[in-house]
Amino acid sequence: MKTQEFFRQGLGFAMRLGVEFVVATGVGSLMGHFLDTWLETEPWFLALGVIFGGAAGALNVYRTAQRLVPPDEDDEDNADPNRKPGGSGTDDLKF
Amino acid sequence: MAGENPLHHFELHPLVHMHLGGLDISINKAVIAMWIGLALIFLFFMLVVKSGTQLIPGKLQSLAEVALEFIRGLVDEFIGEEGKKYFHFVAAIFFFIFACNVIGLVPGSYTMTSQLVVTGAFAVMIFVMTLFIGFARHGLHFLSILVPPGVPKIMIPFMVIVETISMLARPISLSVRLFANMTAGHTVLGVLFALTMSAPIWLGWLPFGFTVIINVLEVAIALIQAYIFATLTCVYIGDVIKLH
Repeated sequence: MKTQEFFRQGLGFAMRLGVEFVVATGVGSLMGHFLDTWLETEPWFLALGVIFGGAAGALNVYRTAQRLVPPDEDDEDNADPNRKPGGSGTDDLKF
Repeated sequence: MAGENPLHHFELHPLVHMHLGGLDISINKAVIAMWIGLALIFLFFMLVVKSGTQLIPGKLQSLAEVALEFIRGLVDEFIGEEGKKYFHFVAAIFFFIFACNVIGLVPGSYTMTSQLVVTGAFAVMIFVMTLFIGFARHGLHFLSILVPPGVPKIMIPFMVIVETISMLARPISLSVRLFANMTAGHTVLGVLFALTMSAPIWLGWLPFGFTVIINVLEVAIALIQAYIFATLTCVYIGDVIKLH
């Protein structure tokens, strides 16, 4: 993958990760809050909702990050083993 | 402009009052911006087609080809072989959102995507569509999307809750991301411009310089947000087609 393509992809991911986590936590909390209001069990479902929402957020962030393909991964076997890290500016961004 | 609420320009007031039954279908700045966006995309592609597609493309044809190739790349990557069916949909979403984002950068116009109701309508429509595709293709087996493969049996009830929250968060994060980015960018521009107008000339050039820089950044953000929206549309459709 070209560095320029990776840069574009990286910008996209940077914009996504934060929102993914916050929104999932928010949705979990809101669901907990509504359940609490409905069943009059405050604050137990809210607490559970925050935990499950946080877990869902972390899962979303993990899945999103997994989709990030570092540059040159396709031809990793052909990569120069003596290549200096940071040579193209993004070489050290591998997971 | 000085001393004005920076969120003031997001307010919508009807320009032409219209009612259909009990529905308020008044025309305001957002509607006009949407029409202009649609017209520009339509005119651009009509111009490309009318001028005749050549084997060696001209400037306009090259631009259209690059844009469409880019969308095709997204669709192929995230949906796969079946992506061809959804190419038109994703391309329409991408061009429309991009046009709306860019039109909002013209002073005096309106950023339609800075309204949560607009981005929310898009996101909910895409979410409902993915549910339809999922149930149509897999029947009740589609519900297995809530259980990731390889999960121990004891964890399944927890994972179903987590995955349900994760699914419900999709349309919200999709709409909030676009709306928040557009609103935040234009608010910053509004604040900086208000500073420019209220400062004396010897100091006003500083916020004005930032306004220009942020405007350039906003053009990039307009493109990136349209790209993210189109990418996520492909990801969500791809997820329900492949299930895991």
